[in-house]
Amino acid sequence: MTFADPWDQKISAFLLSPSQFLATTTCESFLAELLHELRNDKASDQLKILIVSLLLEHPTILCPSSSVGEETALELLSVFSHTPQKSIILKCNVMLAITNVIICTSCLANHTKMAEDWLDFLFQMIQDTNDYRCGLSHQPIRATACECLREMETCSPGLLSQKLEALHLLKQQETTVLHQSYCMLYTLGLKNAIRILTTQKNVTDLEFKSILGGNEGFAWKSNQLGLTLLPINMMVHVPRLPPGLDCKELKSIMSSLLEESYLHTPISQSALLRELVEVVAMVPGLSPTLFKSQLLRLFGTADVSLMHATLFMKDTFTDSLFTAEDENFLLKRLVGTAQHPLLRISEKLFCMECILHFPENRPISSSGEESLPVLVTPRLAASLHPTVFNDSATMLCRLNLLCLVHLEADEGEADKGISYLLEHIMALLKIIDNDGSREVVVTSFRALFIFLMHFNGMKELSEKVIDKLCDMYSKHSRLAPNLIGLANRIEEHLNDPVWSVKLLIGLQKCIMEMPPLQLTIHNLSWHLKVLKRVAKEGQITQRNTIYLLLNILINSNLCERGNWQVGNAVLAVCRNLLEHPSIDQVFIELADLLQYISVHYDDTDIKEHARFYYTLLTNLSWEKLTGILAKGLDGGRAKERSHSAIMAENEGIASNLTVHKTNRHVLQLIKVQGEASQRSLESSEMLETTGEAKNWLEVYQGQFQTSGFGSEVTLRYSLTHAKDTDHLFDKVFTICLHFEMKDSNYAKVNDIHVPCVFRDRKPPEVQVKLKPFQPYPTTLCVSAIFTTQDGRSWHSRLPDVSVSFSEIFLPLPLPPNTSCECKVQVFDRIWEAAASGNPDKSAISLFCFKTGDESLTDLIKTHFQGYLITDQQSKRFWKVLFFLPPTCHVLLKITQAEDAIQVSIATDNWELLPFVNSYLQNITDHCSTTVTDG
Amino acid sequence: MSVRALWVVSHEKGESGKVRFSRRFPTVEFRAKSLAGTQYVAVPEDRVIPQLLLTELGLVDPDKSYVEARDDCARQHRSPAVELRLDGPGGRTLWPVLTVTQGVLILACLPLVEAPPVPRPPLPSLASVSQGLALLSGLQDFLCGPGGKPESDVLASRLAALPSVLLQVCPLGRPLDTPPPAGSVPASVAPSPGGAQKQPAWKAGVHRGRAVVSVALTEKVRSMQYSKNSQQDIWDVYGMVMCKCEVEGVLPNVIVTLTLPHNGSPLQDILVHPCVTSLDASLLTACSVDENDGSAFSGPYKFPFSPPLELFRLCSYTSQVPVPPILGSYKLKAEENHLKVNVVLKLHESVKNSFEYCDAHIPFFNQNLMGSVEVKVSSGQLEVSKEKNLLVWVLGQKFPKSREATLEGTVHFSGTVAGPTDPLCSGLTAYAKLHFRVPDLTLSGCCVDQHSVQVYSSAKPRIVTTRELVSSEYYIWNSTGDTPVSSGLMVL
Repeated sequence: MTFADPWDQKISAFLLSPSQFLATTTCESFLAELLHELRNDKASDQLKILIVSLLLEHPTILCPSSSVGEETALELLSVFSHTPQKSIILKCNVMLAITNVIICTSCLANHTKMAEDWLDFLFQMIQDTNDYRCGLSHQPIRATACECLREMETCSPGLLSQKLEALHLLKQQETTVLHQSYCMLYTLGLKNAIRILTTQKNVTDLEFKSILGGNEGFAWKSNQLGLTLLPINMMVHVPRLPPGLDCKELKSIMSSLLEESYLHTPISQSALLRELVEVVAMVPGLSPTLFKSQLLRLFGTADVSLMHATLFMKDTFTDSLFTAEDENFLLKRLVGTAQHPLLRISEKLFCMECILHFPENRPISSSGEESLPVLVTPRLAASLHPTVFNDSATMLCRLNLLCLVHLEADEGEADKGISYLLEHIMALLKIIDNDGSREVVVTSFRALFIFLMHFNGMKELSEKVIDKLCDMYSKHSRLAPNLIGLANRIEEHLNDPVWSVKLLIGLQKCIMEMPPLQLTIHNLSWHLKVLKRVAKEGQITQRNTIYLLLNILINSNLCERGNWQVGNAVLAVCRNLLEHPSIDQVFIELADLLQYISVHYDDTDIKEHARFYYTLLTNLSWEKLTGILAKGLDGGRAKERSHSAIMAENEGIASNLTVHKTNRHVLQLIKVQGEASQRSLESSEMLETTGEAKNWLEVYQGQFQTSGFGSEVTLRYSLTHAKDTDHLFDKVFTICLHFEMKDSNYAKVNDIHVPCVFRDRKPPEVQVKLKPFQPYPTTLCVSAIFTTQDGRSWHSRLPDVSVSFSEIFLPLPLPPNTSCECKVQVFDRIWEAAASGNPDKSAISLFCFKTGDESLTDLIKTHFQGYLITDQQSKRFWKVLFFLPPTCHVLLKITQAEDAIQVSIATDNWELLPFVNSYLQNITDHCSTTVTDG
Repeated sequence: MSVRALWVVSHEKGESGKVRFSRRFPTVEFRAKSLAGTQYVAVPEDRVIPQLLLTELGLVDPDKSYVEARDDCARQHRSPAVELRLDGPGGRTLWPVLTVTQGVLILACLPLVEAPPVPRPPLPSLASVSQGLALLSGLQDFLCGPGGKPESDVLASRLAALPSVLLQVCPLGRPLDTPPPAGSVPASVAPSPGGAQKQPAWKAGVHRGRAVVSVALTEKVRSMQYSKNSQQDIWDVYGMVMCKCEVEGVLPNVIVTLTLPHNGSPLQDILVHPCVTSLDASLLTACSVDENDGSAFSGPYKFPFSPPLELFRLCSYTSQVPVPPILGSYKLKAEENHLKVNVVLKLHESVKNSFEYCDAHIPFFNQNLMGSVEVKVSSGQLEVSKEKNLLVWVLGQKFPKSREATLEGTVHFSGTVAGPTDPLCSGLTAYAKLHFRVPDLTLSGCCVDQHSVQVYSSAKPRIVTTRELVSSEYYIWNSTGDTPVSSGLMVL
C-alpha cells in the first residue's frame, strides 16, 4: 500500500465522514496502519503530511483513550526523530499532531510522562534563539514549538507560570520574525500567572515579584483554574490583585511589550492588546493610561480586529481611559466605518453589530440585547439608510438599525425618518410587484418583518403596508405562503394578533373582490390556503368565505372535475370553519356548502368527508364539535381524533395523516443475553453419518451449494421503552422497525413488525436477521414508526445498535448430531488449507497471553463453549472454530505452553485478523498479553 | 481567540455543495467543550456541512418558491454570523458560523465562544469573531486573488497550497496572520541580516536591489442623478493610496504626505494601514457622518510608516466635492411600441477634458428585443447590442469643446422575443450608467507630490507617484419615470 492513490481515497473518505469510514474497519487497525505508513521510508513526505493531518484533526477519534493517546504520541515522537532534517514541513506537522494528541486525550491534564517529556522537548527547542544552533532553515520548527507551547498553556493555564524569567529573556534575545511568537508566549504566561495569583488570598510583594522572576519547572499543579478560563469581559467580577503591590517592574515590562507591538501582525497585535488589557484590569497598581499612547493609532486603523480590540479596551476601562469626547469620536468613526466603501460586507455588518452593542461609558441598560447608544442620532445615522441597491444582509442590518434610531428620535424628526423607511419598504414591494426574484421576495418579507416589529403600533403606517400587501396579493397570489408566514410570525413575536388579523381581513376581502377569471385552478389553491388561515381567526367573520366557496363550486366545473387536491383544500377551509366561534351565524350557509360538496363533488373520498362534516355540524353543539376537533396531546381520544381529522392539509388532520417526528428516543433494542441455543443452524437436510472414510470437508463444502446456506446470523433483542419517555408513549401500537446499515458490508435488513409495546408488560422479543457480505462489526441505525393511543403516528429514532465482531460468530455449520470426528476432520482440513495459503486470502497468526489455569478454563467456558471442536482439557489443548457468514472461518488452536497460552490462528480471510486480534485482546484483557504476528 | 473549524465549500449551479477544503482544530474543540459544558454542540462531519450551510444562505431548492426552513421571514440574515440548524428547526444549533461568499465559493469558519453559552452572547463580545473575519478575508484574497474569479485549475492549486499556508498563519486554530494575497510574493527578498534590530512578523525579510517607492492615488466617484426637483442628486468620492516600497533595511522609515489645494474640502473618514507608526489627531477629526464646521484641518496629511514588502493600501478617505464631474440628464418618452430617448451629458469645467475612456451604457429592460434604432449622437460613436437591448455610447477621449454631448432618437421594440429583465427597472424607470477614467486627476484635488515622499534609507530610491479618477456606480436616472429610492435619501 505504498501507492499514493489508495491512500488519497482513504484519507478523503475518512475526512468526509470518520464514522462511516470506521464502520468498515476498527480505529485500532486504522491507527496502526497510519503509524506503519509513517515509518515507511519509501513513502513521500507529501503522503506522510496527509496521514499526519488525520491525527492532527481527529486525535480523539483515532485515539479513544488516554493510554492510546500516549502510545500514539510516543510513536509520533519516534517518527519525528527519524524524519530527516530537511523534511521541515513534515516535522512541523508531526509536532502539531503530537500536541493535539497530548492535549485532546487528556495526557496533558493527567500529567503523563509523555506530556512532561514533550513539554521539555519543546522548551528545549525554543532555546535556540535567532537560529544560532540549527540555522535559518529550522525556523519553522521553532515557530511551531512556540505555538505548541502557547496552546498547551492555553489549555492548561499556569503551566508556564514558573518560567517567566526564562521566557522573558528568550523574548528579549529573539530578533527574527519569530519575535512575535516569543512575545505572545510570554504575554500569555504572564497573564495566566497573574490570574492564578488573584485566586490567592493575601498576596505579598514577594510572591508578586516571584512570578516575574520564575525560572523553575513547569507548574503542573497550578491548573486549579481548569479550562474554563473566560476572558474578563465575560466575568461578573473581574479577578483583581490586592492594591498596593509594587508594580514598577511589571509596568516597565508592559510598556516594552506595547512599544514593540508594531512588530506584530495586525491579528496578533489585537490579541496582544487584549491580553495586556486583561493584565491591567487585574492589577490595580497598573493604570489604563498605559494605553493612551496607542489610542490615536487604533482610532484610525482600517483593521477590523484592531478596531474590535479597541472596543474591548473601551468596555473594560470605560471613562478611566476614554473621555466623553473620545467616546463620541469613536462612535462616529464606527458609523463611518460601517458604510465605508472600501471595507468588505462582512466587516461592515460586524461594525453595525458593534454599534448596537457599543460599550458606552454610562450605559442605560446592560441587558446584552441590542440597544442604540444615546449618541447615535438620526443625523449621525443618516448615512446608514438602507437602499434597494444594498445586498440583502446589509439592507436588513441597516433597516434594523435605522428602525431603532427613529424609534428613539424626537417626534418631528422621527416622523420624517419613519416615512423614509416606509418609502424604502414600498420601494422593495414595488420590486416584488415587478416580478422580483425569489431572493428579493424573501429579503423584502424579512424587511417587512423588521419594520413591523418596530412600528406595528403606528396605525396609519401598518395600514398602508396592509393595503400594499393586499394589492400585491391580488396580482401575485404565489405570495400566499410568504404572507401567511408573515402573519404567523408577527402574531407570534408580538404576542398580539391585531396586525395579523387586519392583514388577513384584507386578504379575504381581496379574494372576494377578485373577478372570477382570476380564480383559476392554479391561483385557487393559493387562495384556499389563505382562506384556511383566515378561517382560524375567531375575530374575522366567515360568511363571505362560505359564499365564495359555494359560488365557485356551483359556477365552475370544479365539482365535475373532482380533483382530490382541490376538494381537500376546500374541506380544509371547512374544517377550520367548523371550529370558528361564530359558526352559529353562518350555520345554514356552511351546512349548504358541505351538503353541496357531499352531493356534487365527483370524488368519493371528498364526498364522504363533506358528509361527515355535515353530520358533525348538524348534530353536535359547537362546544362538542370544537371539543372533538380540538387538537392537543391529551391521550384517550383516539376515536374522535381519527374521525374528525382524516384529511390532509390542516394541522388537525395533518397530525393524523402526517407522521410526527420526535427527536427523543422512545423505544430501544436491548440485546437478549445467553442466546447460544438460538445459534444452531437450520440445516436443510440431515447428513448421513454412516458412511466411512468420507471426505467430510467435501460434504461440508457441498452444503454451500444450497443457496442461502449458512448466510444469516440471527440476533435477539427485546424491544423496550427508552428511559424517561413521555407518558404519551406508555402504550404504543403497530410498531414498524426499520433498519439502515451504516456500511455496505451487510444486506438490507427487512422491516420488523411488532403489534404493541406497553410499558408495564413484558417487552416483546424481536429477531434481527443479518446477512453479511463481509463479516465485520457494524452498527445498525434503527427507526420506528408507531401509533400512540390517541391515534397519531410517530417516527422516532432508536439508539444505534452496534453489532460486535463476536456476535457474528456461528458454530461450524453441520447438523447437530454430527460426530466429533467429522468436525475434527473438517477443522484439520480447513487448517491445512489455510496454512498452505489456499485460498489466496488465507493467513495464519499467533496470539499469546498469560493467565492462570483456572481463569483459562473459565475463559474457554465463557467465550468458546459453543465453538469447541475438541476439548482436551487434560492435555491443555483446544480447537475452536468460528464460522462467519457467508463463507469465512476463523480457527483457533489453543495450547498451554510453559509460560504463556498460545493461540494459533488460521483464517481464510486475512482481513479479519485485526478484528480477531482485538477480540482476543478484549477477552484476555485482564491478563498481560503479548502479540506476535505470524 | 481561536477558530474551531474552517471550511471552503463550492456550489456550482444545479449541484449540491462540496467541501473543497476543511480543517478542524481539535485543541480548540477541546476548549469549546469545556467552556460550553452541557450546551456543547460538536462540529458535525464534513459530509453534512454543505447542505447545512447552503440552507442558511438560502441556496438550496432553487426551483421551489417557498421553503419554510429557508425563507422564514423571522430568521434574520443581517449578521456576519449564521447558525446552522443540525437537526432542523428547533434542534441543536451551531453558532456563530462566519461566512464569506465569493462566486461559487463559500468560506466559513466557526469561532470559539469564550463566554457562557446561555443566553447567547452578543457577537461583538467575542474576541474570536473579528479574528475569524480577518482570517476569512485573508483566505478570500489568497484563493480568489485580485480578479476574484480564479480559473478552476488555479483555484485547485491554491487549495492544495492551503495546508502549508495554514501551518504558518493558523497552525492550531489561533490566527497569527492573514494568508498572503495570491501572487503577492515580492521579487527580491533576502533573509533578515540579524543583529540588534528586531524583524517584524509581517516582513519575511529585507528588500535587495534597486530602491523604488511607488505611490498610486485612486479616487472613485459614485453618483445618482435624477434631474428632479423632488429628488436631490447625490454623489460622493472616496480615495485610496496604494503603496509599494522596495526599500532596503529592516524597518526603513517612509513618510508620504497628501496635500489638498488651497480651500479644498478636508479629507474625511481616514483609515490607515496598521504599518502607519503614528497619527496626528487632527487627521482623524473630519468625519462624513458629522456636521462640517469649515474649520476642519485640511492638510497636509502626513503618514509616517515602515512599509511591508508587498503592495498595500496605506490609507483611504472620503471627500465631499461640490459638483459631480459629469452632470447628466436622461429623458424617456413612451410612444406605442417605441421609446424616444434623450440623454445630455455635461462635463464640469473644473474637470480636465482628457479621458482614457468614457462610455455611457443605456440598457432597456422588460421590453421585447430591439428592432430598428434611430439614434444620433453629437459626439463619439454609438454601438448597438440588439441581443442585450443595450446602447453603448462611446464618448472616447474627449468631450467636444462645448463640454456637452447629446444622444437623441427613437428605439423600436418590434421583436416578439422578450429581452433582458430587471425588477427595478419597470415602466419608465430606467438609467444610463457612465464608465470613465481620467488619468492624473483627483476630484478632491488631493495629490502626492513626488518630492514630498521622504525615505530614510541608505540608497536614494526612485519615487513614482500617480493619480487617477475612476467612475464607480455612476447612474443617471430617467427623469420621466419613478426613481427606485426613497426621496429622503441623501447619501449613497
